[in-house]
Amino acid sequence: MNLCKMLALWTWIVQALFIFLTIDSVGGGLLKPCGHIIPESPVVAPNTTFTAICVLDEECLSEHHLNANQIFWKIKDTRVPKEQYTILNRTAASVTLEDVSSLGSPLTCNILLYGQIEQNIYGIQIRVGWAPEKPKNLSCIVNGQSNMKCQWDPGKETHLDTTYVLKSEWPTRQLTDCIPPPNVNNSCTVDMVVVYVNMDVWVVATNVLGNVSSDRINFDPIDIVQLLPPYNVTVSNSKEISSILKVSWANPVDKPFEGLKYNIRYRTKDASDWTLIPPEDTASTRDSFTVQYLKPFTEYVFSIRCMNREGRGFWSNWSAESSGVTYEAKPSNAPSFWYEIDPSQGHGYRLVHLKWKTLPRSEANGRILDYEVTLRGGKTSHFSRLINDTKMTLNITNDPYVASLKARNIVGSSDPSTLTIPGHDFKAAHPITNLKAFPKDNELWVQWTPPNEPVNKYIVEWCVFSDNLPCTPDWQQEGSATKLTYLRDLMESKCYLITVIPVYDDGPGSPQSVKAYLKQAPPSRGPFVRTKKVGKNEAVLVWEHLPIDDQNGFIRNYTIFYRTSSGNETAVHVNSSHTEYTLSPLTSDTLYMVRMAAYTDEGGKDGPEFTFTTPKFAQGEIEAIVVPVCLAFLLTTLLGVLLCFNKLDLIKKHIWPNVPDPSKSHIAQWSPHTPTRHNLHPKDQMYPEGNFTDTDVSVVEIEANEKKHLPEDLKSLDLFKKEKITTEGHSSGIGGSSCMSSSRPSISSNDESESGQNTSSTVQYSTVVHSGYRHQVPSVQVFSRSESTQPLLDSEERPEDLQIVENGGSGDGASPRQQYFKQNCNQDEISPDLPHFERSKQVSSVNEEDFVRLTQQQMSDQRSQSSGSGPMKDFEDISAADNFGASNDGQIQRFETIGLEAATDEGMPKSYLPQTVRQGGYVPQ
Amino acid sequence: MDLRAGDSWGMLACLCTVLWHLPAVPALNRTGDPGPGPSIQKTYDLTRYLEHQLRSLAGTYLNYLGPPFNEPDFNPPRLSAEALPSATVDFNVWRSLNDHLRLAQNYQAYSHLLCYLRGLDRHAATAELRRSLAHFCTSLQGLLGSIAGVMAALGYPLPPQGAEPAWAPSPSHSDFLQKMDDFWLLKELQTWLWRSAKDFNRLKKKTQSSAAAVTLRLEAPF
Repeated sequence: MNLCKMLALWTWIVQALFIFLTIDSVGGGLLKPCGHIIPESPVVAPNTTFTAICVLDEECLSEHHLNANQIFWKIKDTRVPKEQYTILNRTAASVTLEDVSSLGSPLTCNILLYGQIEQNIYGIQIRVGWAPEKPKNLSCIVNGQSNMKCQWDPGKETHLDTTYVLKSEWPTRQLTDCIPPPNVNNSCTVDMVVVYVNMDVWVVATNVLGNVSSDRINFDPIDIVQLLPPYNVTVSNSKEISSILKVSWANPVDKPFEGLKYNIRYRTKDASDWTLIPPEDTASTRDSFTVQYLKPFTEYVFSIRCMNREGRGFWSNWSAESSGVTYEAKPSNAPSFWYEIDPSQGHGYRLVHLKWKTLPRSEANGRILDYEVTLRGGKTSHFSRLINDTKMTLNITNDPYVASLKARNIVGSSDPSTLTIPGHDFKAAHPITNLKAFPKDNELWVQWTPPNEPVNKYIVEWCVFSDNLPCTPDWQQEGSATKLTYLRDLMESKCYLITVIPVYDDGPGSPQSVKAYLKQAPPSRGPFVRTKKVGKNEAVLVWEHLPIDDQNGFIRNYTIFYRTSSGNETAVHVNSSHTEYTLSPLTSDTLYMVRMAAYTDEGGKDGPEFTFTTPKFAQGEIEAIVVPVCLAFLLTTLLGVLLCFNKLDLIKKHIWPNVPDPSKSHIAQWSPHTPTRHNLHPKDQMYPEGNFTDTDVSVVEIEANEKKHLPEDLKSLDLFKKEKITTEGHSSGIGGSSCMSSSRPSISSNDESESGQNTSSTVQYSTVVHSGYRHQVPSVQVFSRSESTQPLLDSEERPEDLQIVENGGSGDGASPRQQYFKQNCNQDEISPDLPHFERSKQVSSVNEEDFVRLTQQQMSDQRSQSSGSGPMKDFEDISAADNFGASNDGQIQRFETIGLEAATDEGMPKSYLPQTVRQGGYVPQ
Repeated sequence: MDLRAGDSWGMLACLCTVLWHLPAVPALNRTGDPGPGPSIQKTYDLTRYLEHQLRSLAGTYLNYLGPPFNEPDFNPPRLSAEALPSATVDFNVWRSLNDHLRLAQNYQAYSHLLCYLRGLDRHAATAELRRSLAHFCTSLQGLLGSIAGVMAALGYPLPPQGAEPAWAPSPSHSDFLQKMDDFWLLKELQTWLWRSAKDFNRLKKKTQSSAAAVTLRLEAPF
């Protein structure tokens, strides 16, 4: 009663407080308890339609004159469109949301107070999540005898609090639920299962959106038992039997049955593959097992597992591994045994180096303690020694010996390995044939054909074949049936020299060797190519073979690359045996770059580039040009010299002429005008040649007229004689040497106009040019004289000359001679001087006399045939004689006119104009 | 169906049936209902397992009780524990009972024993022992269920399920006598399990032969 009173009072207080709060909140502008939303705390699955209803409080409605149609909804701060509202009645309105999961939370119910003030009425949080999926793949396993672990796939994440319960029952009663620990939703461990009683197991998943059960599974737990593996596994060996090991273990205690069966597996320590002991041997409960047929002195590793003997349930995991070593046995094989002879010892002794290989562990069957070497033969008929090393050196006589070797361990010694060391004079024979070495599967294999004789064994020796290192052979022994073996521990890209020696009863056979690579590589460097000889269109290249250490393989070929600085590269392949190659055709006078690559089977390597330039000329080409040229020059020179020597007299006369002493001349004696003659001397000094010529000519004139004494060589004389009738030009050509060529045209032109014009042209020519040139410098005195008496000598000698001509017969006799002078150069001009000189000097030599005689004869002949001409013409001719060198046909023609003029109008000063104005002087023509 | 029947007649009948109605054998195999055989086998296996389980539990528990209970030759006279169902029934009397009665006796005995067994829990000081006891109890519970299942399979009604006698410590009992009760409880359990195993084995054989006989009866009219 009292209690009831108290409660009523309390309720009243609470109500009063509520009203007060409501009023208070209204007064404060808050509309807190004016309504609520249904549902209060919804959980919604995604992609589902959700409807919320906002119910307004009746009291508020009346107080604030509110209506349900004033309600509006907001999600967070976003107003929900009016279309989604439904006015249910005066106090309630609902909103329907299509997909809440995309909209978010909270959802609020609001009202517009006084038409403008937004007031929040109520808000709810919407939780989004999935109903649980049906758990799948439920499976259980019993560990030991009572713990059962069940697992299942819970399916998709629900995003909600979801509980999973593993339920189980017997046919007669429900069993205790298994509840997974927190945060585990896919497994549970039942701690007390009872075997031999069938049970149903299933999983129930539950959250606010619903619950779901998995399929039930029914089983007898005995059928899903997995025991713990056997433990305390130990392995022990037997000293009596080296091929067995006893494995002992403890069986798992926690098991719902007694009968067990086992799997025992083992392997050698280094192996990875296990051997399983036949399961039928281990199909009964036990705690030890003896494994047989093991290798001696070998470490074996064991592990065991067990399961229900009847095969119900599962195998346990494998136990921890445990290992043991079988006991030692005597070595199962004799060691490989070989020797080397060092014959350097004299006096009937030699050093023999016995060597052997340690037995592999599989054959040693234990720890090898020492080796027993026995030697029979020679003076010491028997010799035996124990040795720890694997080699031994003995000084033995040249007699044959037999050595044998045994390896010993704690149990016993191996069979002996026997070797015959033949006598000093033994000749090895019967080699193996077809020895080949080739790489395969990363090993270097050696193959051979056995000899016909029975072989005890083969010894295969090998060493790195190098230029730098000596061959220190490694070796291995092969059985008598071996035809193919491989070598161990070889390096790549090294050349190996492999030797196979068959061993017979009476000693070793002849060795056979082969070179091989385990794996070839490109050479370390390329060959250094250089030129041995470079020709105009070819180059001989030479190189040296690469050293073995740089080859890294068998050099199969070389490739020569060459190019010009601009051109494309050309490659030439050369056989590997060559060390020389001729590149052709090349372009002459071109820079070539050449390099060379050496190739093994694995690739090539370029050598350095070598540059050379082909010459412009082939070898000997220059010589072929220069030598003949030089020879020709030399010959020419020689000929010239010879000629000069031949004509020494002429030259001498030309260069150092014998200037006749005018004082001793006949003319001088004859002429009373000595002073005028003196005037000549200054002229001579100034123009020695001209003056000489003048004098000379003048003398010759005289001489010719007098004696026909012409200084021609015999040949020219002959010719002259022959052709004197036809033309004077010919005769003049004969005597020419240096100026011959220039004079010839004149001759030919003369030939053309030989008959009529000869005389006339001669006259004109000599008259104008010579006198003009020679007398340009001389003083006016001369001119004055010449005006009166014709040129110097003429004036003096004319009378005599004339006389001579007259005396000689006809005037024509002089004209050929005059022409001759005119056409010949200085040398020719000299020739008339000579007789004159001789004559004046009265020098008599046989040749000269002969010559003179001939000339005289010639002259006389000429005289007899020549047509007459005026003395004036003779004079003109002489005066022009010096200027022949420059004369040509045209000039000759001009001379003709001039000469005519001169002939008619002799003594004209115009014709004596200096050479520089010769043209002007010629103008009259 | 395993036809290793000890009964030669049954064996012969079975053979005859098989030979005579060879085409009908698949139909026979298709009868589907495995009968009580498997459940009897399971009950037998469970009994053996409980024997095995009890051995280790008893060893542990007697050690826990300490001497003289853990001495192998300790064989005290049965002073109290009258409430315990005694397995020391005369062999001939037991043999004279029919299957239903024997099964019912077993069921009732294990129900009682289970109830007493739960009382052992109070003594079990160590967690391991407690756990072993709990597991044994659960197993025994399973055995009860199994026996019930066998009885149901054989068409026998379950014995009336009287209110399980609540174990109440009697204040008159001394600690030693209490231990003596525990000792006898374990002893009775062992005896019962041993006898149950024999019973179920016999029943197993019997049902196998009777199954063959049933087959013969079924097939004979054809």
